[in-house]
Amino acid sequence: MTRRFVFTLVLLACLAAGLICVAYPIYVIRPFRHQGPGELAVALAVTRFRPVITVIAAIAAVLAAIGYWRAGARKWKRVLPAAGAALVVVLAFLARVNVYELMFHPLVHPAFTAANEVKLDGAEKVVAVRVGGEARAYPIRSMSYHHVVNDVVGGAAIVATY
Amino acid sequence: MWRREIDGLRLTFHLAGINNQNFVMRDEETGTYWQQISGAAISGPLKGRQLTLVHSDELTLATWKSEAPQGTVLNDVPEFTSDYAKPDWDVRMKRAPTVLSFPGYDLADRDLMLGIQAFGASRAFLYDRVVKEKLVKDHVGAEPVLLVVGADDQSVRAFRDRIPGMEGAADFYRITGKPSGALLIDAATGSEWNFQGCAISGKAKGNCLEPIAMIKDYWFDWRNYNPKTTVYGKAN
Repeated sequence: MTRRFVFTLVLLACLAAGLICVAYPIYVIRPFRHQGPGELAVALAVTRFRPVITVIAAIAAVLAAIGYWRAGARKWKRVLPAAGAALVVVLAFLARVNVYELMFHPLVHPAFTAANEVKLDGAEKVVAVRVGGEARAYPIRSMSYHHVVNDVVGGAAIVATY
Repeated sequence: MWRREIDGLRLTFHLAGINNQNFVMRDEETGTYWQQISGAAISGPLKGRQLTLVHSDELTLATWKSEAPQGTVLNDVPEFTSDYAKPDWDVRMKRAPTVLSFPGYDLADRDLMLGIQAFGASRAFLYDRVVKEKLVKDHVGAEPVLLVVGADDQSVRAFRDRIPGMEGAADFYRITGKPSGALLIDAATGSEWNFQGCAISGKAKGNCLEPIAMIKDYWFDWRNYNPKTTVYGKAN
């Protein structure tokens, strides 16, 4: 087994790891697809650990590409490992992005208006809470877009969801 | 609605995924993933933990304002306002496909249900039926409960059907058009009760019925998380 062959194997393994880390959660956790409990657990675990896994893969891939270059292959044969290593580095960046967290806009610093100054129609539906004597209403028209509001009501930290 | 503190740690949630059309949240403090409908941690360092439910009501704004004139309302965020739900949002969502189906109950997957998890049982009520009946006297587990529709004919609340200090279920009737805001009258004491479940006149004045947490959810989602649920008005 030549050194170049070993470096190629390392590169391919890193590429596979990067691709799985990025693609598998997207494949499993996508709308209008049934999620089984096992595959969801794996997809979430991959999502949690992929920032570390893909960085390790990227470092290993770059080192393998360098090793391949030094092993004295012909110039045109060196391009492929370099491109492969670059792709693993790109995957390491992509693994830090959760598509859902880009698409949706939960509220972290919500703002409020007094009930008697609100312009909305009285027929609008709201989800209402009362905590510690303080009353808060979340209109469904906006909750069905933001879905998640990180709030503090009556001194209690709550998350309003819809 | 959930408390977002665990062991004194305040969590900040983001929408991070979907699980059979119910969304999954991630907290940025620990990286744990939480199921929205159940408040359960499903993956990550806090897996197995449970957020504490905060009682909430789905009401019309007019009803809520009449009860909470000092309250505050979440502001729109101008950059997203054009994407907010249109008035026919409910109708359009009813046509959206589902990935789960639970036939055998004579219910459509996206029928809107009012669900109660209490007294060791789960029970679901078809929202349209409750609105039509105005006052539902039923049981969740062995406990007598009341579901009452507000004067706006849309808002619904649930209560334990027990007047404090009295034995057994009370016999309530729904009344409307009272300037006092009375919505119920009970046969035992003749007291009048408002939509918040509190007696505003009669012998029981000053007493309040115990509210029961209830969520509005699509049938497929409710049934998925409550496999032993029974359904009001169905043989089960």
